[in-house]
Amino acid sequence: MRAFRVPRLLVLALLFLPLLAVRADDAARGKLVRAILSEDAAEQVSLVRELVAADDPLVLQSLSAWRLGNLYLWSPTDGTPAFPFVLDGAADTDGKSGALRISDGTALKDASGQPVRVVVSELTVADTSAKLRKAIKTVLDLRAVGDPDVRVRIDAIVKLGQEQEAGYLPDLERRLAIEKEPTVRRSLAEAIAFTKLGGDDRAARIAAVKSLSDLRAINSLAYLRKLRGAPATVADAELAKAVEAALAVLDDYERWGNLFGTAFRGFSLAAVLLVASLGLAITFGLMGIINMAHGELIMVGAYTAYVVQNLFRTWFGTTGAGPDLYFVAALPASFVAAAAVGLVLERGIIRFLYRRPLESMLATWGVSLVLQQVFRHIFGAANVQVGSPSWLSGSYVVSDVLLAYNRIFVIGFAFAIVGLTYLLMTRTSLGLQIRAVMQNRAMASALGVRTERVNMMTFAFGSGLAGMAGCCLSQIGNVGPGLGQNYVVDCFMIVVLGGVGSLPGTVSASLGVGVTDQILQPWLGAVMGKITVLAGIILFLQWRPAGLFASRGRGLEG
Amino acid sequence: MKPIPVKTIGAALLALFLGAARAADTVKVGVLHSLSGTMAISETSLKDVLLFTFDEINKAGGVKVGGKPYMIEPVVVDPASNWPLFAEKAEQLLVKDKVSVVFGCWTSVSRKSVLPVFERDNGLLFYPVQYEGEELSKNIFYTAEAVNQQAIPAVDYMLGEGKKKFYLLGSDYVYPRTTNKILKQYLKSKGIPDSDIEEIYTPFGHTDYQTIVASIKTFSGGGKACVISTLNGDTNVPFFKEFSNAGLTSENCPVVSFSISEDEFRGLPAKALAGHLGCWTYFMSIKSPENAKFVGDFQKWLLAPKVTGTDYTVAGVDPKGRVTCSPMNLSRMGVHLWKQAVEKADSFEVDKVRVALVGQKFKGPAGEVVMQENHHLVNTAFIGETLPTGQFKIIKTIKKVAGEPFSAKFLGAN
Repeated sequence: MRAFRVPRLLVLALLFLPLLAVRADDAARGKLVRAILSEDAAEQVSLVRELVAADDPLVLQSLSAWRLGNLYLWSPTDGTPAFPFVLDGAADTDGKSGALRISDGTALKDASGQPVRVVVSELTVADTSAKLRKAIKTVLDLRAVGDPDVRVRIDAIVKLGQEQEAGYLPDLERRLAIEKEPTVRRSLAEAIAFTKLGGDDRAARIAAVKSLSDLRAINSLAYLRKLRGAPATVADAELAKAVEAALAVLDDYERWGNLFGTAFRGFSLAAVLLVASLGLAITFGLMGIINMAHGELIMVGAYTAYVVQNLFRTWFGTTGAGPDLYFVAALPASFVAAAAVGLVLERGIIRFLYRRPLESMLATWGVSLVLQQVFRHIFGAANVQVGSPSWLSGSYVVSDVLLAYNRIFVIGFAFAIVGLTYLLMTRTSLGLQIRAVMQNRAMASALGVRTERVNMMTFAFGSGLAGMAGCCLSQIGNVGPGLGQNYVVDCFMIVVLGGVGSLPGTVSASLGVGVTDQILQPWLGAVMGKITVLAGIILFLQWRPAGLFASRGRGLEG
Repeated sequence: MKPIPVKTIGAALLALFLGAARAADTVKVGVLHSLSGTMAISETSLKDVLLFTFDEINKAGGVKVGGKPYMIEPVVVDPASNWPLFAEKAEQLLVKDKVSVVFGCWTSVSRKSVLPVFERDNGLLFYPVQYEGEELSKNIFYTAEAVNQQAIPAVDYMLGEGKKKFYLLGSDYVYPRTTNKILKQYLKSKGIPDSDIEEIYTPFGHTDYQTIVASIKTFSGGGKACVISTLNGDTNVPFFKEFSNAGLTSENCPVVSFSISEDEFRGLPAKALAGHLGCWTYFMSIKSPENAKFVGDFQKWLLAPKVTGTDYTVAGVDPKGRVTCSPMNLSRMGVHLWKQAVEKADSFEVDKVRVALVGQKFKGPAGEVVMQENHHLVNTAFIGETLPTGQFKIIKTIKKVAGEPFSAKFLGAN
């Protein structure tokens, strides 16, 4: 008999444990309900602060709902006091959703015991003040320090650190003791040091300055700079020395970061310019056609990306593979679409104008207007939205310099198409024929090269490159009927600057313009920077009218 | 030959008389919005809402002057986003078509271009789009938000949220430059030092926001920073793409945009903008019976657009996915205010209507507005948070903000 007793006690204890837990939850819920119903702003804030310890998911859910204005008050018709509730799940097709009572987590029921379905627009929102929202946010941030998602953890830690509130230190230090993820550890250390720097303890402050400099905490630069000038720091020699030393390290770190960042951004702008103008380097540079419709060929590619995206969404759904993989298919599709348009353009108009460059300019300009209007007619005058696949959104951070994935992609893509074009020009018979026709059409023709066909292929290839550029640019800017006009001037500028007919010229010109622009921008601003670059190009062309790499093309000989 | 019966003659005369009366019983009203060119995307919606409002008024019996109802007859011209052409078209409306009033203009430069025309020919213009102020013409009524009805409340809200650093980013033209100049002064008066205010402009159609976003990232590194954006139109797309790729969010650095309303959202990736803020005197999401009626009636009208009571044919209206926004609401309220003033003055004469307009009240979708002596409205300002659906969720309402065009006055008051 005796043997049974212990298990029974245990069973009893086990039976009561959940009840005890529920009671703790009830306490938190009760506090929350009291805070919501309270008329006293100060009491609300203090009650909310106490909820830091709560583990109840419903309490946390309600807190964040409250802050966003998604927490509502229910006034029963039978005259009992109003109570708060949150929505349960998403709204159905009628715009109605279920409701959960915060005090006990049960569904809201009407007099007959049926669950109530509510319409958001008819509800009374439990109001908040800026101060209260901030208190809620702090509670949620403190909770988020333990969130399973690394990104959320870091965001919360950075926020808490910026408050420089000594009260958060125990929470942050507790987390540091168990945190394993190195990036989060770094943020934690930075937040703790920054908080201590804002405190009164002199020794801790000096140590904090030291550790901020060790951590290369670039975000504390502004604060440290202010600290350097403050009278209290000047009076304290040791602290002043530490701040000076830290600033020297951090300034240096920032300078190198800026240099690296500028270089990356310069390369990225250069890649954009190169991708956009490579097609023109072939149609205008090699073939000598002043192709004013180049921009619209880019636009064709961008709209192809849009169409492919929509097809993928209908075939594979709006999440997962649909929006993520369409881009892989869109690149070749936009090449084909723009090449096809280029082919029609060459066969229909341009081949009659090879010996009349000025007329080809007018004709292609007309074509560009027609194409714009056609697209405006089909897709509407407003811009269309081309989404970014998840693998092209976000950025990679190297020593506090952001390398956005879409920018890295454009740089890689520029390398790829330049390599491809180079191989085509030097290693294939088509490339050989293109070069032959370009250098001396009559002689090439006499040697049996079908110059008509080569012209057609070359123009289609150049147009296809423009199309791919459009697909690529849809990840960076707008897609609309005016897309082409935004790029065509830059494209001509690059090709002319590089030297008409020279591919290496186009590459170097885009690099030069891209990097110069990004170096000038932080100093002169975007507007003056651009003007300065343009003025520089004009002066350069006065000095060397044939561009960086002058070459003899057939186009200008007629 | 049989004599023609008197009855027939009478009927014919009556018909003639009625016909003549019908022709006389219309009042010509000008619509001066670009229907082609860069501004067409925004301004076409205003043309649509104006025609809708004319139809609304005509259906309800038109404008009554001297006990007679007059049907509004629209005269729509297209200044094609070309500023000098705005002046020419305004002249045409006032001198050739002899319209009683003109509703139009979007950009400040177009308004500046027509202003001398309206003053010379003594015309009447209603201007519905948020602008930089520092202007007051006796011939223009500004239903638009003045700086103190949009920019100042937004900055106040940010200060209230504990923001201490402000990055003023704008397109390079008169509205952002003037607004930012005023804001800088205002922020200084609120104790924000120059070193915590950054002011940057980019050209129209700028696509490369790498450097600017990198500098915002550094700027917001110490926290408590926000961006006040007066970027125009589709430059917002590359900016917000770059912004969110840099890991910046509305949580760590919110952006308040003054130029993005529901209508602009139709061409923007709303998802990238979710959580950022807007400040206007109207949002489509406002819950009021007046707004429900406005939105519902307008969307119904778009399906079968016509202006009742006149021979005007409405062409080129696209009913797909249409929304309402602040400039549209202000356009419509302008028409109603003008109608009330005409009825009060009992005349279409500009000089009389102008006097009658002051003090006119109209209960609009966002509450009652009053036309003040300074030709600006007393209106309600709203701060809204962008939702992924392209709508705004109202997070703050500031009632009865009296529009004041001259910054010296409201800056002095602080």
